[in-house]
Amino acid sequence: MTTVLFKKELLENWRNKKWIWVPLVFILLAIMDPITNYYLPEILDAVGGIDGAVIELPDFSPADAIMMSVSQYSTLGVLVTVLLSMGAISSERKSGVLDLVLVKPVSYTKFVVTKWLSLLSLIWSSFIIGMLASWYYTVLLYGEIPFTMLLAVIFYYGLWLTFICTISIFYNTLTHSPGLVAFLTIGTTLVISLLTSLFGTRTAWSPANLSTHLQELLITGDVPSALIYSAIVSILLIILILFASIYSFKQVLHNRNE
Amino acid sequence: MGILSITALSKKFNDSYAVKNMDYQFTPHQCIALIGPNGAGKTTTLRMIAGLLKPTSGNIIFEQNKNIDRRTLIGYLPQHPVFYPWMTGSEFLTYSGQLGGLSKSTSRKRCEELLDIVGIIDVKDKRISSYSGGMKQRLGIAQAMVHKPKLLMLDEPVSSLDPIGRREVLTLMEVLKKEMTILFSTHILSDADEISDELILLRNGEIIESGKIKELRQKYQTTKITLQFAERQTFYEEKIATLANVRNTLVEKDSIQVIANDITKARNEILQRAVQEDWPLLTFRLEQASLEEMFMKAVNHS
Amino acid sequence: MLEVIESINWSLVAPFIVIQFILMIIGLVDWAKTKQTNGPRWMWLFIIIFLNIIGPILYFIFGRRE
Repeated sequence: MTTVLFKKELLENWRNKKWIWVPLVFILLAIMDPITNYYLPEILDAVGGIDGAVIELPDFSPADAIMMSVSQYSTLGVLVTVLLSMGAISSERKSGVLDLVLVKPVSYTKFVVTKWLSLLSLIWSSFIIGMLASWYYTVLLYGEIPFTMLLAVIFYYGLWLTFICTISIFYNTLTHSPGLVAFLTIGTTLVISLLTSLFGTRTAWSPANLSTHLQELLITGDVPSALIYSAIVSILLIILILFASIYSFKQVLHNRNE
Repeated sequence: MGILSITALSKKFNDSYAVKNMDYQFTPHQCIALIGPNGAGKTTTLRMIAGLLKPTSGNIIFEQNKNIDRRTLIGYLPQHPVFYPWMTGSEFLTYSGQLGGLSKSTSRKRCEELLDIVGIIDVKDKRISSYSGGMKQRLGIAQAMVHKPKLLMLDEPVSSLDPIGRREVLTLMEVLKKEMTILFSTHILSDADEISDELILLRNGEIIESGKIKELRQKYQTTKITLQFAERQTFYEEKIATLANVRNTLVEKDSIQVIANDITKARNEILQRAVQEDWPLLTFRLEQASLEEMFMKAVNHS
Repeated sequence: MLEVIESINWSLVAPFIVIQFILMIIGLVDWAKTKQTNGPRWMWLFIIIFLNIIGPILYFIFGRRE
């Protein structure tokens, strides 16, 4: 049953071209800043500088370059992820096609989990391809960085993206308005990030700190314990929110006033 | 032996009941019409049986299959079926069959069969986004029966169709009745009259009358005889009014309506007198109550 | 300005430009195939062509109607 549901998701994302444009966008996001920053001195020279002022450009390390990609994902990458997942379940409910699926002996749990897995497979694939492109440009323009470092970035930052996808799936089960799903997902992400920075070291374990700790890992080469804590908290929260999504999907659908 | 029984079924939305304390036993191979005005609770009832809505209270039980997911035994067509517009008709039907528990190859075969039966085999490889309303309705019926359910539920299956489409769907339902129980809702009484064996009349979420259509007819039979005379209508009217089994007479433009206490006795009496006295009778007609009159009567009774 | 253009290693920058171009082409092909979009159809043509990177993405997320 899960295979049948999953294959339908794959076919849908192939037909609506998500399997083409999302990886391409993730590659662009990853390589944009490493390339522009590399050519920034020449570009500034060409436009004549700013009134003869000497501009000291920092020398970027390979770690900085990798973090440029990650920082693009933290803003635009998250935005794209939220926007393309906002209708995952909600739009099917809004249109009414969900009824034709759920009158068949389909497990509600499997339905939600398949939607989640389908979203994750698209995001993770695109993210991995994007980071490989980022690594390629980093090595070429800024210098060597161990491949294991790249794998660490993919794993830990992937957790943050998974966290956001899971929140989006959760809101998808609550409402039949994709716009509201996007609004609530972005709102929740912002609130978490805000609270995390507000409480400083006391919330070092927050999933929103994954990228901060990653930076430390790239610079020092050692895995900070805070990164491990953040990862464990993220995984636990992801599992918790996924269970909450399954529960709310059943409740909301069975008790709707339509 | 019943196939499905619902007992004390209720659904509350906010503070008001959409369906209230509903009981019914469904017998196999019958076509049951759920009749009622808009807002009577027809759709809510169907959606609860289909498992899309959870009843506030009460039970829905399939007699012989208590331990399996009852959705396996049910096919459901919503009033306005919506599909994945990016799929083709045949893709959707195959998918639907697989969700219903068929293997991919069985589902493919069944899909071809059904598309032929409902008459959209020639557009099976076109995207559903290009289908007309009638084609979608047919695809909707096909997806409802793809996994050979025991109970087929159709929500207003013909009300959105043109006369030709309507006729075709009614004929199809006639055929399907041999294989499964059909429960369909409608607000058009003549459709129900035409193909159903049993009726459930709903008003404000409650069953106000139900049973076999023949029995209901007897129960609500209007004992009415219409007579037309070539001449002296009022003269004969007065004569008829004095007969023992006649309760009431009514003169209309060119006919007399006779309401009898006992229709058979009144009929014999009138015919005897007509022969004996050589009445100039033009028309003698026993009229059966239409479903519409029955419905109005049931509504007024409760 | 000329020096800058000469100093740039085009084999490095080319993938960036090629990907943008592919995105635009896919957007255009999809646009040409669909009869209906959310909002005026011609508006989306301009968005896909003239807004670099973002144009096709905007179209895929908001323009396609399903």
